This record gives sequence, C-alpha cells and structure tokens, in this order.
Amino acid sequence: MKNIKKLEPIPAKLREDMPNSKLGITFKAWKALKPNKHKWRNIRWSVLIFMNFLFWVSFTFDIGILEGSLSGSRFIGIYLMDPFNALQEMFIGSRTGYFAMLTTNFFIGLTVILMFYFLLGGRTFCSWLCPYHFLAENAEKIHNYLVKKKRIKEHTYNIGIKYIFWVGFLLLAFLTKNLVFENINPVGIISRSIIYGPGLILLWVFALLLFEIVYAKRFWCRYVCPIGVTYSAVGKLSPMAIKFDLSKCGHCRDCQDVCLVPHELWFVKRGEATKEVHFAGPDCTRCGLCVDICYGDALSFNIRGFEKIM
Amino acid sequence: MKKSKSDINRRQFLKNGAVAVAAIGAVGIGVNYLKYFSEKNNKSLLRPPGAVDENDFIYACIKCGLCVQICPIEAIKLAGISDGLSYGTPYIDPREQACDFSCDAMQCVETCPTAALDFLPFKKAGENALITYQKENPIPGPDYNPFVVQSLSMKATTKMGIAVLNTDTCLAVKNKGFKGSPRENEFTGIYRSPNPKRGERKASLVNDHLFNRDICDLCVTECPIGDTAIILEENITSDGQKLWKPKILDGCTGCGVCTMICPTAPSSIVIEKLEQA
Repeated sequence: MKNIKKLEPIPAKLREDMPNSKLGITFKAWKALKPNKHKWRNIRWSVLIFMNFLFWVSFTFDIGILEGSLSGSRFIGIYLMDPFNALQEMFIGSRTGYFAMLTTNFFIGLTVILMFYFLLGGRTFCSWLCPYHFLAENAEKIHNYLVKKKRIKEHTYNIGIKYIFWVGFLLLAFLTKNLVFENINPVGIISRSIIYGPGLILLWVFALLLFEIVYAKRFWCRYVCPIGVTYSAVGKLSPMAIKFDLSKCGHCRDCQDVCLVPHELWFVKRGEATKEVHFAGPDCTRCGLCVDICYGDALSFNIRGFEKIM
Repeated sequence: MKKSKSDINRRQFLKNGAVAVAAIGAVGIGVNYLKYFSEKNNKSLLRPPGAVDENDFIYACIKCGLCVQICPIEAIKLAGISDGLSYGTPYIDPREQACDFSCDAMQCVETCPTAALDFLPFKKAGENALITYQKENPIPGPDYNPFVVQSLSMKATTKMGIAVLNTDTCLAVKNKGFKGSPRENEFTGIYRSPNPKRGERKASLVNDHLFNRDICDLCVTECPIGDTAIILEENITSDGQKLWKPKILDGCTGCGVCTMICPTAPSSIVIEKLEQA
C-alpha cells in the first residue's frame, strides 16, 4: 500500500471554490448556517455510561446480562476477552509452557472481540466503552480551558512512543511472568471499581488524571495505552471509517480542534490533502465529534466501498 | 522545509522514546521488587477451588472477576492494592465467608475464561465417578441422579488447602462442650448445613443454627465433605479419662467451613495453603 501522506498534494483550493463562495455568502455566515449540535457525542456518552452501568447492574442485582469486567466478560453467555491481555497471556505461556489457560472460551472471547472491532474499526473501544476515556475526555476540556487562560503550558510528545510502550509492556510480561500492565491499567481499575467497589488504587488513576489536566493533554491515551494500540491494529483495515470529502471542506479546521486524535485529520489543512476523498486512519476512535461540528458535512461516518456495491 | 520537519520529529521520537524505555524499566524494577518482597514475606492468599500453581495463577488470572460474580454465597473477593502484585486477583477468607459448595458443582471454576481456575481435573473426576457408579450399579437405584454423583466427586477433588488445628485453644481438646450460636452477633457468614432441617436447601446464616454439644464437634459435624475429611478422635488415657481431638484426614478440601464455624476467637482451626510442588 502506498503511503497517501507522501503523495503529491492537490493544489490548495481557490477562494471561489470554497463552499461559502459557491453559495455567495461570507465564510462566517456559512459557518453560522449549521446549528450547534452534539448528536454523536450524546449517543456515544449514553452508550458508554449505559454499558458500564450494565456491568454494575448485572453484578449487583445478579442478572447475568453482562458479567465480568472490561478485562474479560460474558455478554449473555458469550465470552469476551481483552486482546492485549490475551496477547500477554500467550507471550507468558510461551515462556512457562503452561498453555492450559488458553481455553476454548478464551479463544471464543478473543475471536468475537477481534471480529467486532475489525468491523467497527480503529479505536472504537476507546471512545464508546472505555471509562477512563470518559474521564480523560472531560479532563481534556479542563486542560484546554487552563491553557486558554494561560495558567499552564501545553506539553506534547511524539505519538510514536506508544509503540515503545506496547512492546515494552509485552516484554515486561514475558520477563516477569506477570500481567504487569493489568496492575497499572486505569481502564481495568476503573471498571473493577465501578463493579466491585472502589479501592485505594484509584489514587493512581486520580494522579494520572491530574497529570493530564495540568501538564500533558491526554497523556495516557495518546502516548501510553497499549490497549488502544492493539485495537487500532485490529481495526486498521476496517470497512467503517470517517470519510473526508475535500470538495465540501472549508478548511476552518474546527474539526481538528475538537478531535481526540488530531493527527488523524491531517488532511483537513488547506493544501495538505492528496486525494479528493480521505479516510481517517487507525487511531481514529469513531467518536463523531468532527461529524457533529463540520459545517459543510465534509466529514461523515462511512462504510468503505458501500457505494460501489450499491 | 519538509526535511527539517521530519528531522525534528525523529529527534523528538528518540528523546521521548528514551524516557519511555526508562519508565518501562522503572516499572520492571518495581515489579521485581514487589515479587521479591512478597516471596520474602511468604504472603500468599487462599485461592478459590481449582486454582493452578500460584506462579501460573498470577498471570493466568486476568482479574475479570467472573468467579466473584458467579459465587452464590459471595465467598470470593478481589484482593486490594495492599496485596501488591496480587491486586485484583480472587481470594477466599474462610473466617469471614467459607466456600461451602453451595453452588454444587464448581461454578467459579467452570466460569473462569483463562483456566486460572482449571476445570479439567473436575471434569475428569466427574466423568470417572459416573463410569464407576455405572459399573457398581448396572441397574441404577431409584434415587440415582448423575448430577449428584458428579458433583460429589468434584467436591472431593477440590484442594484449596488443608485445615490445621490449634490444640491450645480447641474446645474439644480442652474437653469442653458448646451451646448456642457459634459466632459473634453481627456475623453475616452463611453456609448450607450438611444436616439440614426438613425442606431447607439453601444456605442460611451461621448464627441461625443453634447447637448444644457436650463435646464441641462443630467442625466435624458441619463439614460439607464428611468423615473422609475430618473425624473426632477419641483417646483413652491409662487412668481411664477420655480425651477428644478433631483429626484432619487426607480428604480435607480446605473449604474452610470449619474455620468459619469454630466458636473460639480466633478460630482454633485454620486453612493453610498446600506446599506447592
């Protein structure tokens, strides 16, 4: 596959080709045409809170709909398995020779999860299910506010270091024969705290959130979390993706401002796009924030190749 | 212009990457320290039935808590941060709530998705028990129930630990009897009595059972396994005096009902983990 980023970019759009010029109105008036709505965010937050609530309800009231926690669960009898945990298990098993933990249910759980997130694509798990994401998404807003008020400075790192962490955690598991990552994983910690009651280890999660608020925006999700890296690898070639239509774009870049992973929307900058149609990359969480805000409806949920079949 | 941008990127990656590697190294050192620390203190938790060797258990368990959810008497709990690397793994505190086999056939083991609680030995034991039963009784008796035959053998296969008696505090050893409810008033532990009242099939509060024994033998009579696990041994001294002592046999599964029901405080009978091979 050719790297579409390295292709020659399409010449920047001329003034008369902008969507507002076509309608014969100013850019500001064009932006004001779109009502301020939060459709996808509301749907997403509802799903996230409902699913995490369902875990709690299933245990507390003993109705076996969604048992277990986010590291491994059973949804109406079907096992589900966290892929990064599964990967660590297999790595450690290859060292100790104890493969008994690779049961039928283990593989059923893994297969179901892999298929599900391949279809949805990218890091869908993150924005639609992960309870830490929900906290971090709101912490990000506080962070942005503080930066705007010039109380704190923005600190960014290279997003490539998440692959170092991914390899590192696998290596650690292999060397220490322990699920090291699961011990410090805020996703599992919060999930267990919701279901089985809170513990002292929540202090670690709060410390992490505090760090994200006052120092580096979305530090854990962007630069560390190997669960997200695993999911983005699973959903890389997914049929579902955010589609970008250059002809409808006004290059206001508001979508990049709200985007949780702005580097995946690199093509919205004027003169950067290399094709008329782009799809957001594997780190995209399918959160729909850009779809909500886009004034020209240039960004939309799309199933790749669906139009061709029709 | 473009080239310098990618150069900056590469430099940033190397710089941040070095910090990341250092962070992972620090976590690794921390893990090894905790491991050394817990081995030194020999602090290991009593695991639910069917748990594999602790060294394998610690990574095979993904801390999902399915065993906690399925246990009908809530005997299984998840370890807290004070247990170091065991954080989030299941354990049983028999003094608070023992496993009394109320679920009949190893539900926690069956539900475990990663065989940290390994169902295979139980499955084999159940199948063998059925075969043996059919050989011994070519024509099944009127009260034949394959489920009961299987679950009995599965219970007997369990080996969570073994009961150990403290002869200094045991009432029977002191030749004392016991009267009343076994535990302090606010105690909420439940169990299913092996000698149930008529119609009683579910687990009930330990303190709802009233006992009146000349020689305290609660650990013996309330044992869910029966006389293959624990018996009350009678010794007669040379001057004709009778001495009593609960004797733990090989059949003990380490379920801990004796620990929970023991009326002395602290319990005169505790569950110890088996030495691992």
